Amino acid sequence: MSANRWLATGNYFTTYQDEQRIFFTHIDRLLFVAFLASLFAWPLFIDVSNKYMLIFDNILVAVIAVLGLNLVTGFGGLISVGHAAFVGVGAYTVACLAQMIGDQHVIITHFWPVMIIVGGFIGAIFGLIVGLPALRLRHLYLLMATLSFQMIFQWVIGFMDFFNQGQFIYVGRVHWFTGEVGRSNHYEFWYYALLVTAVILSFGVRNLLRTRYGRSLVAVRDNDRAADAMGMHPGFTKVAAFGIAGFFAGIAGAMQAYLNRGAGFETFTLHESIQYLAMTIVGGLGSLPGTFFGPAAIKMLDLQMENLAEWAGHILPSSLDLATGLRPLSFGLVIVLFLMFEPRGIANWWRIVRSYVKLWPFRY
Amino acid sequence: MKRISIGILVSTVILMLAMPVSAVAEEYMIGLSLAITGPTSDAGNPYSKGVEDYFRYVNDMKLLGEDTINYNIRDDKYETAITKRNFEEFLDMGMVFYLNYSTGSTLALKRDFEEVKMPTLPASYHAGNIEESNYIFLPIASYSAQAIGLAEYLVANHDGKTPKVAMYVHPSAFGRGPVEDVQATVKAGLEMEIVEVVEHGKDLDVTGMLQRWKSKGVQYVISQTVQSPVATLLKGASRMNLVAGSFGEKGKITFMGAHYTGGNDLIALAGKAAENFYWTTSFITTSEESYGADAQIALAERYGRDDKTANSHNYAAGIIVAEVATEVIQRAKAKGKEVNKETLYQELLAMNGMNALYSGTAVGPVTYAKDDHQGVDTLQLYSVQDGEFRAVGKPFIPEYTDKIK
Repeated sequence: MSANRWLATGNYFTTYQDEQRIFFTHIDRLLFVAFLASLFAWPLFIDVSNKYMLIFDNILVAVIAVLGLNLVTGFGGLISVGHAAFVGVGAYTVACLAQMIGDQHVIITHFWPVMIIVGGFIGAIFGLIVGLPALRLRHLYLLMATLSFQMIFQWVIGFMDFFNQGQFIYVGRVHWFTGEVGRSNHYEFWYYALLVTAVILSFGVRNLLRTRYGRSLVAVRDNDRAADAMGMHPGFTKVAAFGIAGFFAGIAGAMQAYLNRGAGFETFTLHESIQYLAMTIVGGLGSLPGTFFGPAAIKMLDLQMENLAEWAGHILPSSLDLATGLRPLSFGLVIVLFLMFEPRGIANWWRIVRSYVKLWPFRY
Repeated sequence: MKRISIGILVSTVILMLAMPVSAVAEEYMIGLSLAITGPTSDAGNPYSKGVEDYFRYVNDMKLLGEDTINYNIRDDKYETAITKRNFEEFLDMGMVFYLNYSTGSTLALKRDFEEVKMPTLPASYHAGNIEESNYIFLPIASYSAQAIGLAEYLVANHDGKTPKVAMYVHPSAFGRGPVEDVQATVKAGLEMEIVEVVEHGKDLDVTGMLQRWKSKGVQYVISQTVQSPVATLLKGASRMNLVAGSFGEKGKITFMGAHYTGGNDLIALAGKAAENFYWTTSFITTSEESYGADAQIALAERYGRDDKTANSHNYAAGIIVAEVATEVIQRAKAKGKEVNKETLYQELLAMNGMNALYSGTAVGPVTYAKDDHQGVDTLQLYSVQDGEFRAVGKPFIPEYTDKIK
């Protein structure tokens, strides 16, 4: 380890523990704390409209969901295209309970943190069940198994009366120490709730990756037979990865249900699953910072494409309906371009910037 | 000197009093979020143009005097999350009246409309929209009323024993909504037998289903979906020589449908197979001569719209919601009230009796009241004859809608 804990202009690791540190220098830690503080403080100083606050909230929901997906796909190498269904499990856990006991019931409105955790656990149970085929399947075959879960979820929600046949199920407004969180500060409240959750879960993932299980996960991804030979349990590792991913997705879904004040079928379709996968790829597979960059980039791209498609929809002939194609075209193009030219995602740009700053002014 | 100063002061005061008071022109913000692109954009696109053209006309012709309507139309691609975002943006912009589109988003935002007390007219005529809602108003008869209207017509005009009917519906709240109401109508005494209710998928071949219907003796099909699955159904039936040549022809099937199943798009999709398709809506069609049809086409021509848009019933649907919004603003202004969401809501509730709105693009008056959130109650039945929708009989109001309440 460098003698100077404030400024290390290179790698000076002498022990494994050194390399596993979350923050390599005090500057890193300080910058992180400052950044985190700014994330918490900016809504107090900048007056942002509900529209944009809702966008930030949706990005954070996606961040929490992608944390799970990145764990299973990025770190575990297990492809999943049913992640929106896991998010839906969390959302429908809250929504269905609200439907059964009443959406203004104290359990829904006052014990919402418990409900969110319950949503996570139900998501985890479904994750463990869906992860079982991972014991025998890999690659495209595993993809088909997760796709089937997505399809089954859509069918069940869309046709069963218990789920209101996919129609919107309402969830009441939550209460905080100051009373009911009203409309005027709804989005801001959930911004903070989501941010706190995202930060806690991110540290959870970071620490998980430093544990024996985290190392097993990466080892199983790289070569499961070799990992098996070294005494790891690939089957348990894979199924547990699905379970943890399901937990994260369930948390994201439950919070989304509270944010949107209910759950409706169309938020958890295959299209959403593919979006989560795209966020993971664009952000950077197997990268923790990437789980933040990916959702932000895709949501912002989506927003800009919406504006472009709307503008085009007004000027292009409606009979051709060309504008409809702009959004999926741009979406697909971004994924292809990233896979071709930057397969390590935006996280790699972040790594380059960091190493440049770290070595400055002593560049190579 | 003092006298001169007093003179100047008095003259100034007199001049100020004599000068005409120039009123500050007001701008009323109205928001519309709908699918201009993406699923159902074939209906959303002309609908948005109907709204846009009517508001442009209001502003251009100064129908509100110096005041203008600041209309904001946003594409939500049929995604509820985007609709919610658009709605929040409109609220930040000071919206006084809201126009929404899909069933899903209307149901999802119902509580928001209640909270912010926003009068809302959706393009979805789902009866569930107005349940437990004070602020949502359907522009025309609900899908349920339309399906019941079709059922009443077929029972009244059927020759023979109890007619056997199949329902062909969209696999969503939009499609399923009327099923229970039609079933309730049968329970309430309408003599027909519902043999089967089918939620369609994305099949391009429906031969098996038609064969089954044939073996079960189905004589009529009531559809509650969009045009393309109906076109597939009609083409399949035409190929199997199952389409009735006239209403209720024995041994054949008479196909019928609610608002979003019909219109010129259906004829374009199904071609000759659309002949003798029976369709009900509360709108006029441009294939029938009327003052409203002329006005609709003139408006489209004025703003350079193509023929397809000009003749679309969805264009008419857009016009009518814009017309209702304009009318309530005019009425609030005429009463000297401040134009805001509350006064516009009150004007909507007062739109009945002598105050009903007669729109050229609908077959009946638009009426609302505290316990009536369905605008045009009247329906008109049309059938395709020689490639055009022609009126069948006079406009009517279904009887069973009240009986099953």
